[in-house]
Amino acid sequence: MKRRKSLFIHLSQIRLLAKKFAIVLLFLSAFVLMLINKTDTVIIDKTSSVATDIVSPIMDVLVIPAKTLANVYDYFKELQKIRDDNRSLREENRQLLQLRDRARALDIENRLLAGLLNYTPPPESTFVTARVIAEEGDAFSHSLIAYTGNFPVKKGQVAVSDKGVVGRVDKVGNMYSKILLVTDINSKIPVMVERTRVRGILSGDNSPLPRMVFIPLSAELTVGDRVVTSGVAGVFPPGLPVGKISSIEKNSVKIKPFTNLERLEYIKIIDYNLDGILIDEEENE
Amino acid sequence: MREDENESITGFFQKLIPLASSLLLLFISYLPFNLPLLNNIRPAVGMVCVYFWMLHRPDIFNLFSVYFLGMVDDIISNVPFGSNIFTLLVLYLLLSNLLRFISGKPFIVTWYGFILLSLAAFFCKWFVLSVYYSQFLPFSTVCFSYLVTIAFYPLLSLILAYIQNSFMADEE
Repeated sequence: MKRRKSLFIHLSQIRLLAKKFAIVLLFLSAFVLMLINKTDTVIIDKTSSVATDIVSPIMDVLVIPAKTLANVYDYFKELQKIRDDNRSLREENRQLLQLRDRARALDIENRLLAGLLNYTPPPESTFVTARVIAEEGDAFSHSLIAYTGNFPVKKGQVAVSDKGVVGRVDKVGNMYSKILLVTDINSKIPVMVERTRVRGILSGDNSPLPRMVFIPLSAELTVGDRVVTSGVAGVFPPGLPVGKISSIEKNSVKIKPFTNLERLEYIKIIDYNLDGILIDEEENE
Repeated sequence: MREDENESITGFFQKLIPLASSLLLLFISYLPFNLPLLNNIRPAVGMVCVYFWMLHRPDIFNLFSVYFLGMVDDIISNVPFGSNIFTLLVLYLLLSNLLRFISGKPFIVTWYGFILLSLAAFFCKWFVLSVYYSQFLPFSTVCFSYLVTIAFYPLLSLILAYIQNSFMADEE
């Protein structure tokens, strides 16, 4: 009896030890994963892409009822707005027709002048419209997962909405890609102020308003100035609308993106065939 | 004999319910609802699920369930791989040591326990990621995420309690 009791104590002690050991081991594995991630090796990228491809179809199914719910809400919300919108759209249409005629004339003039200057146009771009199936926007990360199908998406390609730049492709799976939003702490995009051509870097910090950094001290900036991509580094083409300056403080210029990054249903991933595109380390080798 | 088999199969699936329901809620939390405010308000569902199931079914929601949940969270989100695993493990470790003070207490006490323990977990995540990025993450947004998570706890625990009562009543 006594022996059995001591055996029982022994077993429970072993179990407790094993549990403690497992906790330490799992903590260590979490740290090791983060360390591997920090070194930016291909392993994590590849594993993450494969894992995203496995998990995303589940989300793709779950997104259907969520979208229906959102559509019902939108329907009722838009009913209120529809009359006002109609009136303003008629007015806008009238103005746009005038602008179209002007644009046609300018286009012809532009082509004639380009011919005279022997101007080389930028490379043709191809794009895919991708459906957003998951998004994340909390204190720790700002990203989304989009269904890109068989389109040959590459890391670093530009993701835009109808209003402007959304972010860039971060991880590529077979059918799904992860997009790093401009507000994410890892996002750094060369930009310039459209009016004054002052250059800087749009740097996300996981808050809704990214900062514009590395601006010359003498730069002339005003709240409301439009910010567009500068094309420096050759990853993003120049002139893509990004946002406008929302506040200027002593050490920080905040930019409000044109796109409402919290309400994205579809995005466009564009391949501009630019040389500076971020190449996977594997391709580099 | 057949009844025994049926019971064992039912028992097996019942053991999967905590993890499966946690994963389902986690997936739902990442869906784009396109509703105003909702996209800014994303509670840390993983933390709520770990806390709830550890409190109510520590016998079947074990360390490996916590690890798996954290791993799936890491896959969906774009935070450095391992950081969600780490956060949930912190919560697991704290809770497993304080379980006897919180378990079986009225809801308000368990909620209060969650408020304290999730604060520690959020702080650890903020600290680890700040070290990872070599810069402090904005504290205000972390506080906001934390507040949203503790505000959502009653609703999420209600859903989980419903799941537990509906599908796992026999196990009690």
